[in-house]
Parts: sequence; structure tokens; C-alpha cells
Amino acid sequence: MTRLILTRLAEALVSLLLMSVVVFMLARLTGDPVAVLLGDGATQADKAALTKELGLDKSLPVQYFIFLGHALQGDLGTSIMGDKSPAMQLVLERLPYSLLLASVSLIIALGIGVPLGVAAAVHRGRAVDTGARVLALLGQSIPPFWLGLVLIYVFAVQLGWFRTSGFGGPDRIVLPAITMALFSLAAIVRLIRSSMIEGLTSEYVKLARAKGLSEPAVIWEHAFRNSVFPVVSFMGAFFATMITGAVVIETIFAWPGVGRLALDSILRRDFAVIQAVVLAITTLYIAMNLAVDLIHAWLDPRVREAAR
Amino acid sequence: MRAALSALLALAALAVAACARPRADESTLIIALPTFSDSTFLPWTGGGQRKGFLDPIYDYLCIINPETGEPGPGLAESWTTSADGKVWTFSLRKGVQFQRGYGEVTSADVAYSIKQVMSPASRAGPASPLRRLIKSIETPDAYTVIINLNRPDPELAKGYLANAQQVGIVSAKYVGEVGERAANATPVGSGPYQLDFFRRDSEIRLKVREDKANIWREAPQFERLVFLAAPEVSTRVAMLKTGEADIAPMSYDDIDDVRQAGLQVRSIPQSWSPVVRMGGLVQEGARYEAKNPWADVRVRQAMNYAIDKDTIIRRIFHGEGRIAASDTPVEAWADLPPYPYDPAKARQLLTEAGYPDGFTLTLKTFTTNPGAELPTVAQAVALYWRAVGIKVSIELIDWTSLRTAWTSGAARTYVWTHRGFPFTSAQNGLEAGFEAKSLFASYNTPQLQVLIDAHSAELDPAKRRALLTDIGQYLRDQAGNVFIAHINEPYAVSSKVGDWTITSSNALNFEHIVRAPGQAAQ
Repeated sequence: MTRLILTRLAEALVSLLLMSVVVFMLARLTGDPVAVLLGDGATQADKAALTKELGLDKSLPVQYFIFLGHALQGDLGTSIMGDKSPAMQLVLERLPYSLLLASVSLIIALGIGVPLGVAAAVHRGRAVDTGARVLALLGQSIPPFWLGLVLIYVFAVQLGWFRTSGFGGPDRIVLPAITMALFSLAAIVRLIRSSMIEGLTSEYVKLARAKGLSEPAVIWEHAFRNSVFPVVSFMGAFFATMITGAVVIETIFAWPGVGRLALDSILRRDFAVIQAVVLAITTLYIAMNLAVDLIHAWLDPRVREAAR
Repeated sequence: MRAALSALLALAALAVAACARPRADESTLIIALPTFSDSTFLPWTGGGQRKGFLDPIYDYLCIINPETGEPGPGLAESWTTSADGKVWTFSLRKGVQFQRGYGEVTSADVAYSIKQVMSPASRAGPASPLRRLIKSIETPDAYTVIINLNRPDPELAKGYLANAQQVGIVSAKYVGEVGERAANATPVGSGPYQLDFFRRDSEIRLKVREDKANIWREAPQFERLVFLAAPEVSTRVAMLKTGEADIAPMSYDDIDDVRQAGLQVRSIPQSWSPVVRMGGLVQEGARYEAKNPWADVRVRQAMNYAIDKDTIIRRIFHGEGRIAASDTPVEAWADLPPYPYDPAKARQLLTEAGYPDGFTLTLKTFTTNPGAELPTVAQAVALYWRAVGIKVSIELIDWTSLRTAWTSGAARTYVWTHRGFPFTSAQNGLEAGFEAKSLFASYNTPQLQVLIDAHSAELDPAKRRALLTDIGQYLRDQAGNVFIAHINEPYAVSSKVGDWTITSSNALNFEHIVRAPGQAAQ
């Protein structure tokens, strides 16, 4: 297990380094933050002075090595915006909001998706199965921006059950969490259903039934346990996406998460913040993949054996 | 395990903090804005989009009268100008106190604030022109500020130092004591409100200053002003409908829906102006491109004649605007005749210019705020131009990419939609948009520069106005841009809001909003 973790950490360092080069170069190819900051009536001299102040007058390789040198000391630079906040501080300020929203979404998705997927497999071809498949189809095909606006209209404007948007109370997180959860819920239903159908017809399940185990024990202790691996893999990667990639949902529901920070920093060409966001996202993905590997090893003795 | 526990505790703390958000009540006015631009609170650490929440905190030397457009006393009780227009002497109001016990507003604070806004590190919009304009600032006593200029500016009190610009007066002592970073997070001004709470890019809460007796302007009618960042316009309208907000800018398509919901619609008159800028028209070095078809004035005029502006105003902006003959609403240009919709004349001019079969051009467009409709305007313009033979390829890009090209001189061979903003001082607008020195100039010729310089140097009000009219006429006749309209910006407003006098899109006066008759007093 230790070897597995060390290998993953070594791979993570290489990934982070490569990602830092890619992001650093790509961000600088898309525009100039100086153009964002120049005020009314600015002149060529103002532009030159600002370019120098931001260190953008140096060549790209020189800029990169300066960035890398600072990054190795834990300094990812400061935002170009007003108070020149440290870039990583801005990301860390937003991360708890994103984590909260993603966690609630995950609970909703797993809480509904798992039992529904199991029920659909157990009662294959019956009404609950049809309902689950329709929900899965809708969940993966309805655009989040549309769903979010419909939920606001129905549950906030018409029924008044929840607040429309913003951060500030349980009644504000329900709608964005449901909007975010629906896609992953649909995927969980499909994954669990197909895995369970395969598991329920397997030899080990037949053996469990032949041994006289109760049907709930057969379903949950034998079939389900073996069907959960694809969901763990999917949710591992998808949870990181939920945390960092919810730009549309954060925009519609005015949620102050990392997604909006990423979008705003891209639009402003705030290079330091873009780099900090991407490096944070990369780290999160790496951590989630590592967590998935560890959960696999915990759930499956064969993985533990292979890792020894 | 410890990290996991810490994360759980942080989430729990967030959940508890979440419950602490105050609900709307009669003493709170909630304003939903598309963006805060950036959540900084010193005047020089960001752009003018922050003025909605900065103006209740800070005072300005002069305050524009919304009715006349002329400057009146603010922190400055009176002012005089030297005969050559280069020396301005402001006499400050005595006894005005900064918030949080930071003492009386003095000339040292005024000098400090102006110097910070014009400093090279400033991120304020007028920093560059102020650096060129102001030579030195003297403070002979605590209540006198003398500003020496490099050139005459008869509109200094109306322009850069008035409340429609960005020179809010801060406490020099406070910033010196706590440092700029802390002062940026907890501002100290002399206005009626002070900062109570803020969450970056999400929420700003202001409350009436604790020492209410020191409010020298009219007493605010709302105990709290809450600003919420809500980027999506449909969400903002929903917030109004549910009572989660009292004021929010909205889209033109929502006007009927908002009225049917029993809400009010208030419009900022002539808040912005959709316009098409044409690259390569600044006749200065490499920024000029003589090969463009629109380098010929007849082509530019044809591009103006070809567009049915009235239909654009009615269909896209639901009638909220008027046809324009300029890129910003300037009082002296109000009577300039706009180009009428005349496709036949457009085709005739194109033929005379050597383009009987038209030509091809690229029209770049983007969305901004206000200005979400610019891509739709671009499509309409493209269709009208196609009707007279100009074949248009529309490219949707982001504003930063266009700014990068514009300010680097690379935007020479195409045209783009843009938005003009009103300036309380027309001279400030000319400096930004048409002076050859400005990187954001879209049109300039030696003749125009002569006119601008003459206007800038002229001190006699009547002659200044005549020169300004000449400039407007020249820009109109030369078709320096494709002028379309001066557009009103609609706001959805709840029944809580009574009188709301808006000076301009740069001075929304949220702090002076009057409670609607029949609404409970605080």
C-alpha cells in the first residue's frame, strides 16, 4: 500500500509540473492583462509601465522560471486585481463553498441514485426500472442552466419553498445541489443498474441463494458489494469536477465557488489566479484518484494483494 | 484523519455562518448587481464599476446636480479658477468627520486621495489622464486645496473631481496606520454608510455609520444597503419577484414580465450607447490603415445610412433609447441630425467610393454588462449592411481579447461593436475616445485633434460649447463611428423604492434612495 501511495505521489509531481508549463503558456497566448487594467485615455507609456510592473516585459521562459522558483517556495503569485491578493489565498477562500455544494450534491446523488439503481436491477423490466431509466436519460440530457432556471421558477418564485440564489442558509443550497446532483445521479443509476444486473446473474449470487441466504442479504452483501466499483471510480473523478467545474451552476445560483473564480480570472487574464486554480484542480484530481485507489483496495482484497 | 476533521469542521462553520445571513426587512435595501468588478474598497484599487457600493462610503469634492448636469458643493464648499484655467482652489467644508473616529476631513486627505488615484500603481479609470493633467497639489491650510494643472481644464470640478468619477476622499491617516491591504478590506470614508461585512464577489453589506450625528449629507432612509452579486439576469429578476432583492438591472426582454409581476421598471436614461468602431482610423503612425474600404468617408457614411436604427431600438431594446448621432450622449450634440435610414443613399455612396458591388469585412462582437445585446445588434447591423452589398463575417470574441488587439494597435483591419458611456465632462470623453494619445481612441485626424486642442484650451463657456458642437458635427459628418443609439438601462425595482434620482450610469445614488410612501420607517 505504501508503494502504491509513493508511486502515485511521484506521478502527481510530474503531472503538476507538466500542467504548470501548459497552463502558463496557454494563458499567455490568449490575451494581455495589461489591456484589462488600462483605464480611460491610457497611453503607450502607461501600457509600457504597466507591462513592466506586472513582469510581462520579460521573455516567456524567463517569466516561467521566475514563476516556478516562487511556486517551489509556495508562492503562486498575486492577482492583478485591486488588492493584489495572493492567488492561492483566493482559491482557498472559494474552495470551502465549492466543497460544501459538491458534498451536498454527492449525498443527494448517492442517496437517491444507489437505491434506485439497485431497485431497477432487482425489478428489471418493471415500473421502477422504467422510471429509473427515464430519470437517468433526463438527468444526463437536461442542460444544467435550463434545469437551474426551471427549479428557481418553480420552487423559489412560484412555490416559495427555497431561496433563488446566493450563499447563506440551507434554503439556498438545495436548488443548486439538486441541479448539480442530477447528472451524477443519472450516471450512478445507470452504472449500479448494469453492474447489479450482471452481479445478480453471476455464479456467486447463485451460490449465495443456494446457501439459503435471505434476498436482502444476497442483494446488498453479495451483488451490491461487487457492483459498487464502477461507481467509486466514476464518483472519484466526478467529485473533483463537481468542486471545480460548476461554472454554469455557480453563475445561475450566484454561488461564490471556484468555478466562477476560474471563469473571472480567465476573462481578466489574471495569470497568477488561473495558474493557482488549475494547479489546485490538478491536485484535487490527483488526490481523488488516489482516494479511489485506496477505496478500491479497502473494498477488494484482490487489489490489496496485488499492491503487496 | 486530522485534516478530514478540520475539513468537516470548516464545512460545519460554513453551514452555521450561512444561517447568519440577514433576511430582507423594511430597513434594508438589497441591490443585486451582475458583478462587483472586484471586491476592493479603496478608490484607486479598481475600476468605476464599484461605484455603486463605494459612493455610499466616500464623499467627493463636487456633486453633480442630476437636473442641470452642473457641479455643486460636495466636500468642497466652493472653488475658484485662475484666469488661465490652470489653477483650481477648493475650499473644504469644515467639520466633516471620517467614519470610525478618524477625525476631520482635511486638505491633506484630499491631496492624498487625488495623488493615490493618479499614481502609476492606481487601477482607477482616470489615472492616466489625471497624471497628464495635474502638475502639483498644494495644501496651504487644512481647508484649502490648490491644484495646479499642466493645461487648462475648465471642467475639472464637473469631471474628474465630481461624484461621477472615481476620486473618493479617503482618510490618509487611516491608510497610513493600517496599510493599504487592511484599508482595502475595511474602508474609512466620510459618507453616510460604512462597511459591515463582505464576501468577495458575493455579498457586500453596508450599514449607516455608527456616529450618525456626523452624517452631513441628507440622512439615509435605509439602515442597511446590501449588494449581492448575481451574474445571471434571470436569477436577478427572480430575486425581485421573491422579495430577495429590491433593485436589479434587468434585460430588455424582461420588461413586460417584470411589470406584469407588479414590479416597477426604472431606467437610467441614455446609460450606454451601442456603436460600431472601425479599425485603422486613428491617423497616427502604425494605427492608421489606408487600405480599408472605410478609410473613405463616403464608405463610412454609407455604413451609417444603411442601418435602420429605429427598428433596432424598438426590436432589441424595446423602445428604451433614442437614435444617436454620436457615441456618447453630450448635451451640446443633442441637436445633431442622426444619419437617417436610407439604403439607396448608402448604395449610391458605396458606388461613388468605388465599391458598387460592396466589399467584405469582419465584424467582431462580444457581450458585456451593460451590453449583453451587442451580439444581437451585430447581427442586425450585418443584415442591414448585407442589404447594401457589404458582406459581413461576424466573430464572437471576449472583451479582453478585443481590448488586447485594440490597445496594441492590431485591431486595424476589422470593425467591432462597442459601448459608449456618458461622461459628465465631455472633455473627459474626448480624451478617452478620440485623442490620438489614447490607446482607446477609435477615430482621430489632424483636423479633429486641432478642434479637441482648441476646445481643451478655451475658457469662455460660450466658445467652448461652440467648439464642442463643432467637434460633434465633425465626428458625425466624418462618420467616425457607426452611431446607433443612446440606450436606457432598465432596472427592476420593488415597491419599497420611492424616489430614486440617478445622476448617470456612473453615479447611481443608491445611498439617497427614498422609501416609497406607505413603507414603514426604520
